Amino acid sequence: MTGDTLDIRNLRLAFSDHTGSIEVLHGISLRIAPEERVALVGESGSGKSVTARAVLGLLDRTGGASVSGTIRFEGRDLAGLGAERLRQLRGTRISMIFQDPVSSLNPVFRIVTQFREVLRRVDPGIRNLEAKIKAEEILREVSITEPRRVLESFPFQLSGGMNQRVMIAMALANEPSLLIADEPGTALDVTVQDQTLRLMQRLVEKRKAAVFFISHNLGIVREFSDRLYVIYRGRIVEEGPTGTIFGDPRHPYTRALLAAVPRITRRGIPDVEDDQAAFLAPRVVHEPRPSAR
Amino acid sequence: MLLELRNVSKTFRQGSFAVEAVKHFTIGIAHRECLALVGESGSGKSTIANMILGVTAPTSGEIVLDGAVLRARRRLQDRRRMQLVQQNPLSALNPKRTVGASLRLALDVHGIGERAQRRERIARLLEEVGLSPDLSARYPAALSGGQRQRVAIARARACGSDLIVLDEPTSALDVIVQARILKLLNTLRVCQGLTYLFITHDLAVVRNIADRVAVLSRGELVEAGATEEIFRRPRHPYTRTLIAASPVVTEDEKEFRDRVRRQDLSDDFA
Repeated sequence: MTGDTLDIRNLRLAFSDHTGSIEVLHGISLRIAPEERVALVGESGSGKSVTARAVLGLLDRTGGASVSGTIRFEGRDLAGLGAERLRQLRGTRISMIFQDPVSSLNPVFRIVTQFREVLRRVDPGIRNLEAKIKAEEILREVSITEPRRVLESFPFQLSGGMNQRVMIAMALANEPSLLIADEPGTALDVTVQDQTLRLMQRLVEKRKAAVFFISHNLGIVREFSDRLYVIYRGRIVEEGPTGTIFGDPRHPYTRALLAAVPRITRRGIPDVEDDQAAFLAPRVVHEPRPSAR
Repeated sequence: MLLELRNVSKTFRQGSFAVEAVKHFTIGIAHRECLALVGESGSGKSTIANMILGVTAPTSGEIVLDGAVLRARRRLQDRRRMQLVQQNPLSALNPKRTVGASLRLALDVHGIGERAQRRERIARLLEEVGLSPDLSARYPAALSGGQRQRVAIARARACGSDLIVLDEPTSALDVIVQARILKLLNTLRVCQGLTYLFITHDLAVVRNIADRVAVLSRGELVEAGATEEIFRRPRHPYTRTLIAASPVVTEDEKEFRDRVRRQDLSDDFA
C-alpha cells in the first residue's frame, strides 16, 4: 500500500442516453504523492476536466454517466464514501479552483461572506470577527495588500486577477491535502497569469498541498509541475517527470503536441503531423515514479 | 502603404465618465505585410480593429486606404477591401446557416459573380482553405473548431478582400490545430498576396508569423518595429514584461526569457 494522496486506477467513464453508450475515459491510471505537483495535459475533449470531476464526485450520475475503476484519496476509496461524506471532503481535504474566477464566485455576496462560509466548513463555530481576521491573513499571503477592501467588495468590483487570487486563498484556507486546479489563469492576461500561478505555487508549498493541475498550456505545465500525464482521447499516452518528457518526448502524440507550440525564439511555423492512428500508439512510461519529496 | 492610421484616438463617453481607449495611434500597414498588434485585455487592440473596419468611428484622426481618407460611413467598395476573422468561429458563423449558405451570403452582399457560378465559386473558396467542397451542406455545429475557423477565413476571402483583420484567430483552438491554421494563413498570404493585421496576446505566435509588431499598452503605442528587432532588443519595459511572462516549452526559450527578465540584453539573440 502506498501513501499516495490520490491514486486513480483504471478509471473508465461512459455517458449513455437512449441512443446508446459512449466511453470517454478508457482506463485512466494516475497517482499523486503527498506535496507532489502533477499535471494532466491534453487538448479539448481529451477527458482531462471530466477526470477531475470524477475525483470530486461531481459527475451527474442521473445524467447517464457510469464510472468504473477506483479512485483512492489518502487510501480511502471515494466510491464507497457516499454523497454526504464526499461533500464533506470537498472544500476541506480536497479543494478546487476553476478557469474562470468570476463565475466561480457568487456575484451577490461580498467576498467576506463567501470566505466565512469556506472557513465554516472545518470550523462551524468560527465567529465573524475571527473568520475575517483569518481571511485577511490568507489574502495577504497571495499578495493582496488591502485585504479589508477586498473582503468588503463584491466579485464584480475586483479585477480578474484579483478574483483568481481570492479563489486561490479560499481554496487553500482549509489546508487541503489536494488542490485540483482546472486551467487556472487561462482566462487571464499573460502577465497576470504568470504572477497568479507563482502566488498559487508559493501558497501550495507553504500549506504542503499536492496539486493536480489540469491544463492545455504546455508552457505553464512545464513550469508548474513535477510530473506529467499526457492524455489523448481518454487514454494516457505518456507519463513521467516533466523535465524528462519535455526533453525527450517519446509518444507520437506528445511529440506532435510539443512540435506544434510556437517558439518565442524562432520564426516559421512547424509542420505538424496529424496522424491519428499513430496517436493511439501504446502508452510510454518514463522511469519509475520518484518517491515523494 | 495599404492602410494608414494617422493620429487616431477613440474616447468612449457615458455621462460624465470618459475612457480614452486609443490615444494618438499612428501606424501604417504595407501591402502583403503581416503586422501584429500586441497587448493585454483593455489595451485598445479590438477598438483599433473596429475603427479600421468602420464599425466605430475614431473620435479624432484619420484612416487612410491606398492614399484616400476613408469616410466614417464606409462605401461598399471600401468595405469589400477589408474583412474580419474573429476569435471564436462558433459565434462568428450563423448556426442556422449551412457553410455554403454563409459563403453565398457573403457573395450576395457584395454582388459578386453570376448566380450560376456561385456553387463553383464556393467550392473554390473552400478548397483554398483546405476544406472539401462537400462540407458546404454542413452546419457549423457539425464541424470541428479548426474547420469552422477555416470557413470563417473562406468567408473573409469571399469578396476578394486583400486586407484581413485577424482578431485572436487561433486563441480558442487546440495547439495542433493552431499550428495548421497559422500555416494556412501564411500560405494564403504568400499565394494570394494578402495583408494581415494580426491581433494577439501570444508573443510566440507573433514571432512565428508577423513581419512587424506594434505593442500597445493602455491605448498607447509603446513600441513598434520589425519582429526580429523587437525580439532581439525589446526596448520598452512593457514589451520586456510581456516577453518575461510568456510560457515557454524549450530550454532555448527559457534562457532567452530569463535574459529578458534580467534585462541582460547586451548580446544580440539569433
